[in-house]
Amino acid sequence: MRIVVAGGGVAGVSTVAALRAGGFDGDLTLVDAGEFPYDRPPLSKEYLAGSRELKQIALQPPHWYDEQGVRLINECTVAALHPADGTVELAGGLLLRADRVVLATGGGAARPPIPGVGGDRVHVLRTAEDADRLRAALTPGARVLVVGAGLIGAEVASTAVDLGCDVVLADPVATPLAAALGEDLAAWLHRLHARRGITTVRAGVASFAETTDGIEASFVGGAEASFAGGVEPRTFDVAGPGVAAEPSRVFDAVVLGVGMTPQTALAESAGLDVDRGVLVDAGQITSNPAVLAVGDGARTRQGPRVEHWEAARHDGARAAATILGTRAPAPTAPWFWTDRHGRHVEVAGHMETADEVIVRGSFDDPSFSVFGLRDGLVVAAAAVDDSTAVRAARRMIDRRVPADPARLSDPSASLRTLLRG
Amino acid sequence: MTQGIRVAALDDIPEGEGVAIDKAITGTADDIALLRDTDGSVWALDDTCTHEDASLADGWVEDGYVECPLHSSKFCLKNGEVQGLPATRSTCPHRVEVRDGEVYLFPNQAP
Repeated sequence: MRIVVAGGGVAGVSTVAALRAGGFDGDLTLVDAGEFPYDRPPLSKEYLAGSRELKQIALQPPHWYDEQGVRLINECTVAALHPADGTVELAGGLLLRADRVVLATGGGAARPPIPGVGGDRVHVLRTAEDADRLRAALTPGARVLVVGAGLIGAEVASTAVDLGCDVVLADPVATPLAAALGEDLAAWLHRLHARRGITTVRAGVASFAETTDGIEASFVGGAEASFAGGVEPRTFDVAGPGVAAEPSRVFDAVVLGVGMTPQTALAESAGLDVDRGVLVDAGQITSNPAVLAVGDGARTRQGPRVEHWEAARHDGARAAATILGTRAPAPTAPWFWTDRHGRHVEVAGHMETADEVIVRGSFDDPSFSVFGLRDGLVVAAAAVDDSTAVRAARRMIDRRVPADPARLSDPSASLRTLLRG
Repeated sequence: MTQGIRVAALDDIPEGEGVAIDKAITGTADDIALLRDTDGSVWALDDTCTHEDASLADGWVEDGYVECPLHSSKFCLKNGEVQGLPATRSTCPHRVEVRDGEVYLFPNQAP
């Protein structure tokens, strides 16, 4: 059997690795647009800061592909699928035989249709090339606007302030990540920005305009009048009805961290079902049984599209199991992490489904965590510099271990013991 | 050195957890994580995760594996083999013996 995997992100590489680990001995080809497959989380952190090089964030060491018998076709993309012919067409026209194809094409950084958004000073962050370009702009003293205070935006803001930039972080949402983290923890996390000297503005951007001095951003729904004169770190929150024309400010660089758009063009042109992602079943099979899809660009018919690193890794393992006809790993509670301002934050489960929230420790402690309960069971946890709490919580969620709120809230009570019941 | 270095009492290491032994004591390039599995057995691996700078002794030990506390890389306790991303390199195992409730470490010897 011949398999072609299109895309060398974590989903694609995990698919390939799981296929070989599961005993697949057929022909295996991985097509990737980059110099080699690399890990994306460091692009907003160590790689952007310049403390890690590209080869240090490779998803696999260079010799791995040879050792695993994987043909890596780099700096290339898949141009078209021809399932009826059993071929895949590469950019440049080369045809590869393929009995099964795995689409791991991910997505692109979203660029909302804001006037002026196409200017050279406006950055996104999805690839190493994006990061290289952005890093060149993050010079000490540079005036940087980050639009969007979610995971990517917050991490870029943190890295930029580390690099000595004068950073403004704008998001129209009062408390970014509130659904995923719970209101209190999300608010605490968002306040870290101001403590590090970042100006946070509750606002969106209406337009960008090139000036002789930089790029001017016009804010909507926020940014009170003192914005122009204020240089000290502060938080604005003046969104409200009746606020129309808002102040503007000039920046040297703008970074958009406003989400991603799934890359579905290949699937669409091959006639696959697409709806906000390439639609797949529980085994990652698309509407054509010869084609599977994994990672950020795929979505199960039952649920939302998930954009987290570990979800992509699990997709790869599931796709490999489907192809091999083996049992897929049992699903586990979703999990993601973010690193900003020297704090490591992890989240497991679905905090938005909790009907009770228990704080373990204090928000003033060096580490603490928050557990979300529903009907007496742990359904989510979020922790700051306490990965063990999230490790325990994931097991509690997956195994439906009854929660004891008193012990959960007591930092001196061992969660490992609690897990054992 | 054939007797190994006494590095801990067995009771010092709760099941499912680990303790780090300073490289000044072990004479190794890295600190060594003593890891106690959920079946009570004790294992030793280089302490620093091969993915990012985190201590495996702070990790989660369960069913033959240790999970890094930072980004969940997993390593086999017996031989240090990595079990999938984000880490891509295995880590170094060291021989351990438990005698009379005391844990003895044999740095740089195969388990």
